[in-house]
Amino acid sequence: MPMPSSDRAPVLVIAEQRAGNLNPVTWETVAAAQALGGAVAVAVAGTGIAGAAAELAAADVAEVLVLEDPALESYTPDGHIAALASLVEQERPGLVLFPHTYQTRDYAPALANRLGGVLIPDCVGAEVRDAGLVLLRPMFQGKFVAEVAPAGPGPHCISFQIGAWRADAAARGGAAATRTVPVSVDGSTIRQRPEAPFQEAKQAVDLTQAERIVAVGRGIKGQEHLPLVQELARALGAEVAASRPICDSGWLPMDRQIGSSGQTVSPKLYVALGISGAIQHLVGMKGSRTIVAVNKDADAPIFEVADYGIVGDLFEVVPALVAALGE
Amino acid sequence: MLIVGGGPAGLAAAYRLATRHRGPGGDPPVVAVLEKSREAGAHMLSGAVLDPSALTDLMPDWRSRGAPVEVPVTEDRIYFLTERRRIPFPVTPPPLRNHGNYVISLNRLVRWLAGQVEAAGVDIFAGFAGAELLYEGDRVVGVRTGDRGIDREGNRKATFEPGVDIRAQVTVLADGVRGNLTKSLVERFRLDGGRLPQVYAVGIKELWDVPAGRLPAGAVIHTLGYPLPHEQFGGGFLYALPDGALSVGFVAGLDYRDPGFDPHSAFQRFKRHPLVAGLLAGGEMVRYGAKALPEGGWHAIPRCHVDGALIVGDAAGFLNSMRLKGIHLAMQSGIAAADAALDALEAWDTSAERLARYAALVESGPIRRELHPVRNVHQAFAGGLLPGLLYSGLSLVTGGWWIRDPMPAHPGHQRMQHVRGERSAAPDAVPVDRRLTFDKLTNVHYSGTRHDEDQPSHLLVQDTDVCRTRCREEYGNPCTRFCPAAVYEMVDARGGGKRLQINASNCVHCKTCDIMDPYQIIDWVPPEGGGGPRYEGM
Repeated sequence: MPMPSSDRAPVLVIAEQRAGNLNPVTWETVAAAQALGGAVAVAVAGTGIAGAAAELAAADVAEVLVLEDPALESYTPDGHIAALASLVEQERPGLVLFPHTYQTRDYAPALANRLGGVLIPDCVGAEVRDAGLVLLRPMFQGKFVAEVAPAGPGPHCISFQIGAWRADAAARGGAAATRTVPVSVDGSTIRQRPEAPFQEAKQAVDLTQAERIVAVGRGIKGQEHLPLVQELARALGAEVAASRPICDSGWLPMDRQIGSSGQTVSPKLYVALGISGAIQHLVGMKGSRTIVAVNKDADAPIFEVADYGIVGDLFEVVPALVAALGE
Repeated sequence: MLIVGGGPAGLAAAYRLATRHRGPGGDPPVVAVLEKSREAGAHMLSGAVLDPSALTDLMPDWRSRGAPVEVPVTEDRIYFLTERRRIPFPVTPPPLRNHGNYVISLNRLVRWLAGQVEAAGVDIFAGFAGAELLYEGDRVVGVRTGDRGIDREGNRKATFEPGVDIRAQVTVLADGVRGNLTKSLVERFRLDGGRLPQVYAVGIKELWDVPAGRLPAGAVIHTLGYPLPHEQFGGGFLYALPDGALSVGFVAGLDYRDPGFDPHSAFQRFKRHPLVAGLLAGGEMVRYGAKALPEGGWHAIPRCHVDGALIVGDAAGFLNSMRLKGIHLAMQSGIAAADAALDALEAWDTSAERLARYAALVESGPIRRELHPVRNVHQAFAGGLLPGLLYSGLSLVTGGWWIRDPMPAHPGHQRMQHVRGERSAAPDAVPVDRRLTFDKLTNVHYSGTRHDEDQPSHLLVQDTDVCRTRCREEYGNPCTRFCPAAVYEMVDARGGGKRLQINASNCVHCKTCDIMDPYQIIDWVPPEGGGGPRYEGM
C-alpha cells in the first residue's frame, strides 16, 4: 500500500441517506473501500441520522463520522458541498469514495473542484498495484475499460458504478466508533430551495400500476375524438393508453404507448377501442385479467385475446357505455 | 485500419489483416470494425447455402475451430411451379449443383466469425453505424459514427452522445447491399461510370419449425415460375436444417414492371403452393427477415478503390446470381482488400493508385474466375424466364460470350410502369390465416426488430408531396407494397386526401425502398446504432 498509514483514515466513504434511511448502495462503496486496504471511515450527513449511523457502525471500519446540521435537513448541493468540504479539510483522507448515484452526480464534481482535486466518476473497479492505485472506467458503452491512475496530491474523489461491488461483500462485525464531526453550514449560502419531493402528476401515472386501462387505436380516426375515450376512462376510473400509431402521431404522449416498443401492462380491466390487435400490441397487454374489445372488423386479431368483444363502431358503442356507467 | 460493417466481407478482411501481417519488425496494424447491429451477426440474413472455399482460404482449420458449418447439402431439387403443380427439372443445372456445399445460418456463421476476429485482436464496435465518410480533399480518412440520443424532432435528449470521428489509413467499406457510405462514395467519384447499373432483388425469408421427417437435413429445393409471371425474375427456396428447422424464402427481382407487385404477397402465395404448404403443415413460423441482394454481376461492379478506401462484399456487388451465392465471394473480396491494404500500409502509400492492387487481385483471383463467365446472365433474365434460361444454358458453353457484351441493363426502378386503368394486374391480396400466411406487421414482430421510437426517421423522403400527388397517380404508391416490413403507409390526411406515414421503427434494414422507389427520393440512412432486426438462426 503506497498510501500513508497514520491514525487518520486514508479512505473516506460518503454514505447516502434520505430522511434518515440509508441508501443500501452505500454498502457497495464500503466494500470497495475495504478492498483497497487500510483504514476506512464512513461519513453520513443530514439530520435525524442517528439510526443510519448506528447501522453503518456495524461495518468493519475504523469509525463512523456523523455530520448533523439543521441546514442539511433536506438535500441541497450547496449544503452538502459545504459540509463535506469542511469534513475533508479536517480529516484529510487520501481518497473520498462515493456510490455513483444521481445525488453524487449532482454534487460530487463541484465538491471535487472545491477540494482542488478531480472526480473520477463511474468506476467499475479499483486495483492497488506497485505503482499505486489504478481505477477502471468503462468507455464506448462498456466496449473498452480504461485504466485511470489519480495523479498529484489528494484527496482524490472516486465514484463507483452501482453493482460494481457487492453490498454483501462489505465486511461487518466490528463495532465502529461513532464520532460527531462539528460542521456548521451557513444556511444563507445555500442557493437551492428544495421543494417537496416530486410526485408524478396523476396524468403521468405508471401504466404498469394501473388497475384499469382504456386503450385506443387507429379506429379513433382523429385527435379531436380523444375526449370520447377520456370520458369512458373517467367513468371507469381508468388510465388512457394507446397503440403505437396514436402515440407516433403525437395524439398522446409516448409514455402512454402499450406494446413491444412501449409498456407492458397487466391491469384487471383492459378496454381496447378501435385497436386491431397487431401482435406488437398484444404482447404488451395480453396478460390483462379481463380484456374488452370494440372493433368494427369482426376478424380483427384483438378478438382472439378478448374476453368480451363488441363488433361495432366505437363512436356508437363508447357513448352508450358511458351512459350506462353513469346510471 | 477501419472496416465499416461486420458481415462476411468485413470480418474476412479483419481476420486476414490481423492474422497475415506478422512480418519482421512490423506490429500488426490496429484494426477496428464498426457494426450497426447491437451484436455481431444480428443483421445477417441469407438462405443460405455456403460454398466453403473462401472460408477455407481464410482459415484452413475452420472445422476444428467449431465453425457452425455442419450440414452438407445432401440433395438438390429444382421445380418449375404452376399454380397447383410442380414440374421437376430433369437435370440439375451445373451452377445449382451444391455437392460440397453446406446449408448454414449466416447469422450464426458471422457471430462465430466475429468471435474468431476478436480473438485475433480486432476490436468490433457493435451498435455503432457509420454515418458519413470523412475526407481530406478527395481522400477518405475515416468515418464519423452516428449521434445517439436525438429525439424525433432532432433535439438532443438527456442521453445525447455525439458521434465520434474514427480516422484510418485505409477504410474498408463493407456496409452491405446498397450501403449508405458506399452509395455516397460511388456518387461522389462516379465510381459506376462506364459500368452497368446495379440491379437488385429482395429476398424474404422465414425460419420454420416443422414436424420431423419432412425433408432430410441438407436438402435444397429451388423453384421457378409460380407465383411470378414468366417475365418476372425470381424464385423460391427451401433449405432443410437439422431438428426440423426449415428455411423457406422467396427472392423477387427489383426490376419488375407492375407497380402493384408486392414481394411479401408473392412469398405468402409461394407458401400456399401445395409443394410448400405440405412441407410447412403443422409447423410453426419462428423467425422472419428480408434483405436486398445485388444481382447485377460482373459488369455492375463499380470501381472499388479510391484514395484511402476500398469497397468489398455486397456493397460492391460481389454475388453470383447464377449460383445464387455471394457469401464466399464477399469473403474473397475481403481477403483481397486486406492484402491490398497491407501492401499499401507497408509501402506507406494508400493512394488509389497503390490500392488498385485490390482490383488486380479481384481480376486474377477466384472472383473474376467465377463471375466473368456469367457476366451477362442476369441481363438475359430481363427479357423473361425463357430467354434467361436459354442464355444461361448457352453461356455454359460459350463462357458468357454474347453479341453485345456487356449485354445492356437498366436500373430496376426505371422499369416500373405507370398504373394502367383502374387497377394493377397483381392478383388480390393473399388471405392471412396467421398459421401459414402472415401480414407484414406480424412478420416484422418475428424479426426481433427494435428501434428507439423517439429518434428522427432514418428513412429520408426528400419530398413527401410527390407521394400524395404524382406517385399516387402514376404508380399507386408502390412503397406500401415493396417494403416487406410495413414501414410505408398512405393514411388519411387531415382535411381530406392522403399523406405518407413512415413507420421507421418497423424497418428491417433490407434497403428495398432506397433501391426501388421510382423517383429515387428515399434515402436510407442508419438509425441510432443498435436499432434494427435481431436475427437469430437466420
